[in-house]
Amino acid sequence: MQRGTGVRPMGTLSVDLLGTKLGNPIMNASGTLGYGREIEPLWRVETMGAYVTKGLSLKPHHGNPTPRVWEERCGMINSIGLQNVGVERFFKEYFSFFQRKEMPIIVNFFGFTEGEYVRCAAAIKPDRLIVALEMNLSCPNIKEGGISFGKEATMVKSVVGKVKNVTNIPLIAKLTPEVSNIVEIAQAAREAGADALTLVNTMPAAVVDTANRCIPIRGGLSGPALKPVALRAVYDCARAVPIPVIGAGGITDVTDALAFFMAGAKAIQIGTATFVDPYTIPKIIKGLNTYLDARQCSGIKEIIGIAHE
Amino acid sequence: MPGQFVMARLPGNEVFLRRPFSICRTRGRDIGIMYKVVGRGTGLLSSICKEEEMLLLGPLGKGFHITEGASHFIVAGGIGLAGVLMLAERLGARARVFFGCGTRTEAALTGEVAGNTTAICTLDGTYGFCGSVIDLLAKNLQEYHKDSVEIYACGPDGMLRALKSLLEKERLPCQVLVEERMACGLGLCFGCTKKTLDEKEPYKRVCKEGPVFDLWELCL
Repeated sequence: MQRGTGVRPMGTLSVDLLGTKLGNPIMNASGTLGYGREIEPLWRVETMGAYVTKGLSLKPHHGNPTPRVWEERCGMINSIGLQNVGVERFFKEYFSFFQRKEMPIIVNFFGFTEGEYVRCAAAIKPDRLIVALEMNLSCPNIKEGGISFGKEATMVKSVVGKVKNVTNIPLIAKLTPEVSNIVEIAQAAREAGADALTLVNTMPAAVVDTANRCIPIRGGLSGPALKPVALRAVYDCARAVPIPVIGAGGITDVTDALAFFMAGAKAIQIGTATFVDPYTIPKIIKGLNTYLDARQCSGIKEIIGIAHE
Repeated sequence: MPGQFVMARLPGNEVFLRRPFSICRTRGRDIGIMYKVVGRGTGLLSSICKEEEMLLLGPLGKGFHITEGASHFIVAGGIGLAGVLMLAERLGARARVFFGCGTRTEAALTGEVAGNTTAICTLDGTYGFCGSVIDLLAKNLQEYHKDSVEIYACGPDGMLRALKSLLEKERLPCQVLVEERMACGLGLCFGCTKKTLDEKEPYKRVCKEGPVFDLWELCL
């Protein structure tokens, strides 16, 4: 290890994820970094190991009326309604930004029926920059009474299996924490062919506006309030399910990031913290480098899952 | 640019997200904001002491476009005045400011637009014209050659709707600065949208495509 030369030894934070070598295991959570270009006035998107797209669907989605965001003491609730330009326009107009940068991406996608998931996944052509598809399983299945796909192991198994049949790109299942047994859901995803897991999506929540005596927003809770819930899911699934886990949920600083790696996450995603401090992602990357150097660790791999030992 | 804003990170842990505030004026490296206490964030802001530190991110968003050669009309309702103060200062004597507020107490804010020709109204009639700022504007607009008028507005939704119906017939050029609950301020989260008439992508981000929009593009 080169020390004191001012040259950072290459590879300290690098990880292999689903066959792609990433410069570091830090990404944004889907939908929290726009289409990637919006953050560039502050820092370059290739600072991250990979960029995770906004959730894409077969057809464009306009999203929900406002209010779409509401603050809570330890987090926020959002109900954006998956506004996106659709998978076709993304690859026509937004993908070249990442191609110019040679930047690996993870394509998050969703559907409201099995058919929509399948057609959306099939519409994404393999590309050396696409590390994986990340399947948002928190959407309501409108053909089954509106219950989220991700809440029933049988539905997870069925839809993941069908998506797996139409794509050669590695597949990540992103799971909702609002289940009775997340390990069971994670196992169902793996058995159906999921190559990795992202744990967790936001938690269903609501706000009461006491002044106006109404519920202004029902949506997903994110931020520090979600962190212990996510850590538990990461720890339990990393132990029981033999595929890589990507941790997400309330990660705000380098200590939070370390907690997820120690609980078994191979990579992490940062979302809401970016809204509070838009430099959170580069700060955490820098903080992890400092942590590894101070302990003379050869790489982040040394601490992944260390809390299980 | 007049109409741009900053995201302010308030001290302490009571408030989670940053809060957006219009930049009212700039003097060298200093900037001024004006706000009304309406919730936890502005409540906390009002208790901040002199020289206490606060992180600001900005300037953000797209501001007003000044149409040279036009007769400039600035319309502000209540704390919406904060959104147009810098524009009023920039235009100086070239702009007429119409400011409407609830009571005589709020009308004191017109001291902020001393450099402009100003007309004031209060809803309760305790100061200036009695009625809404749109009624006040309607009375004054008649005297102008409407083909060279540019209107700039900021205020509550009700005011903007009334403005739209006043201007509907002649579709006079009008830029409006709008407000929405915001999370990131940078265009990352799509939380602060306004609905527009664009059929392909109706919801535009207030923080990125705004906060200033063409009145005739907005669904109010």
